[in-house]
Amino acid sequence: MRLKKAVKTVFFTEILQGMALTLRSMFSHAVTRQYPKEKRPAMPGFRGMHAFVRDAKTGREKCIACGLCGAVCPSQCIHIYTREDDLEQKKVIDRYEIEALRCVYCGFCVEACPVGAIALTEHYEYSDYSRQALYFDKEKLLDNWDRMMAGKKGEEYFEKFWFPKRDSFRSYDGQAVFRKPKEEAK
Amino acid sequence: MNFLEIIFRPASFDVIVQLAIMVLKVVVVVGVIMLHVTYATYFERKSIGHMQVRLGPMRTGPHGLLQPIADFVKLFFKEDIIPAAADKPIFYMAPVISIFAGMSSLAVIPFFNGFVIANINIGLLFVLAMSSLGAYGIVMAGWSSNSKYSFLGGLRSSAQVISYEIALGLSLVGVMMMAGSLNMTEIVKAQLAYPTGMFLFPQILGFFVFMVAAFAETNRTPFDLPEAESELVAGYFVEYSGMRFALFYVAEYIGMIVMSLIAITCFLGGWDGPFQIPYVPFAWVFIKLYILIFLFYWIRATVPRFRYDHLMSFGWKILIPLALFNVVLTGLLKTLNVI
Repeated sequence: MRLKKAVKTVFFTEILQGMALTLRSMFSHAVTRQYPKEKRPAMPGFRGMHAFVRDAKTGREKCIACGLCGAVCPSQCIHIYTREDDLEQKKVIDRYEIEALRCVYCGFCVEACPVGAIALTEHYEYSDYSRQALYFDKEKLLDNWDRMMAGKKGEEYFEKFWFPKRDSFRSYDGQAVFRKPKEEAK
Repeated sequence: MNFLEIIFRPASFDVIVQLAIMVLKVVVVVGVIMLHVTYATYFERKSIGHMQVRLGPMRTGPHGLLQPIADFVKLFFKEDIIPAAADKPIFYMAPVISIFAGMSSLAVIPFFNGFVIANINIGLLFVLAMSSLGAYGIVMAGWSSNSKYSFLGGLRSSAQVISYEIALGLSLVGVMMMAGSLNMTEIVKAQLAYPTGMFLFPQILGFFVFMVAAFAETNRTPFDLPEAESELVAGYFVEYSGMRFALFYVAEYIGMIVMSLIAITCFLGGWDGPFQIPYVPFAWVFIKLYILIFLFYWIRATVPRFRYDHLMSFGWKILIPLALFNVVLTGLLKTLNVI
């Protein structure tokens, strides 16, 4: 046993084994992804830049100004200013702003939203030189939706990953409701 | 007697021609070696990168081929910062001494039969002297920077170089005994007369000791304690920047190339190879050089750094006795006419 160890020490067996390993790994395929050239496709449900869902029917935002997203946001980067609109008989948003620089991309706002009005797109390359460019107001957020998620992609997004909470608690047909939704009343 | 007369007298004309040839040789050798140094950095980054399953430099030029040139340009135009508390004259001198010691060793290396800048009889001794002079550059840099990191790096380097210098010299004694000369060209010729064409086989022990000591001399991993990144930031050249830093870097790579070239001339049969390559007499020297340089990188990618007391005890308790044993063995075999 001692002889074996001595032979090992004299002939550097372990170092030679290590060198064999490094030589082998030299001819293996490198795992490097050359980022700006080869982009990694975003995983499904990736939480990237924020967008405000534009309702295909009305052409406006879906937001009902409940403020849940702002309440749940851990980094408090969502600022909502609401008012009660007498004409439409509902709460509407005056201003809706997201400070993207403070956002931690937890996705709680999307989860909390009862109507599926906010989304996190798959886009993550939007660094900029000014703070102002990363301070999203309502128009910018709606524009993000149009650029990133409009059409089928946005529909799939809410079907697959973030279906609005309201859909979980659908009332069955014929259940007595307190007040019928406005469209149905017409 | 005017100037023209001196020039065109037959005897002095000869001298001038010889001088011109020598200058030409110097220019060629320095140019070729500097080119090798630039691309040695690229080769190192690439090979170590692939060993670590990365790609290494890829952006500058195709497959990062222009990276060393970009690095050089960047270092050349970088601001030259000198610490206020530094000992200025020594601080200026240190990188120059480092690079001078490395470069002047190249003068006695034969690249092929008859091509050597200075065919001096004490070639091997000169190389040893120059390689120990290189340590002065490191020590002076460490001391003059007036920073604790570089000071520690310089101290470590001096201790290490003193320890391994002895083993380095002793490992070459066997070669001297076999060749019967200190002239590098003579050493190569003695190897060519030998059945194996190189001194590696009777001198395998000497070669091993030489290579280990060469790693220590050039401060390469696993003996890179003078520039241990994790403890001394960068070692003796922490305070250097820009062109002066680049000089140290170049000196390190030249040291590596010089050590490989000495190994080639003394142990691996110099310009001779298993078969002749027509029209390129220096081909074998460079092929062997690339293999040895690759060995330096390969070891760097594999072996972790020594602990300092291990380094010292390895040098004094193993390497020097081994080298001495090799001298005795060579003498014995020589007297018995075995080799």
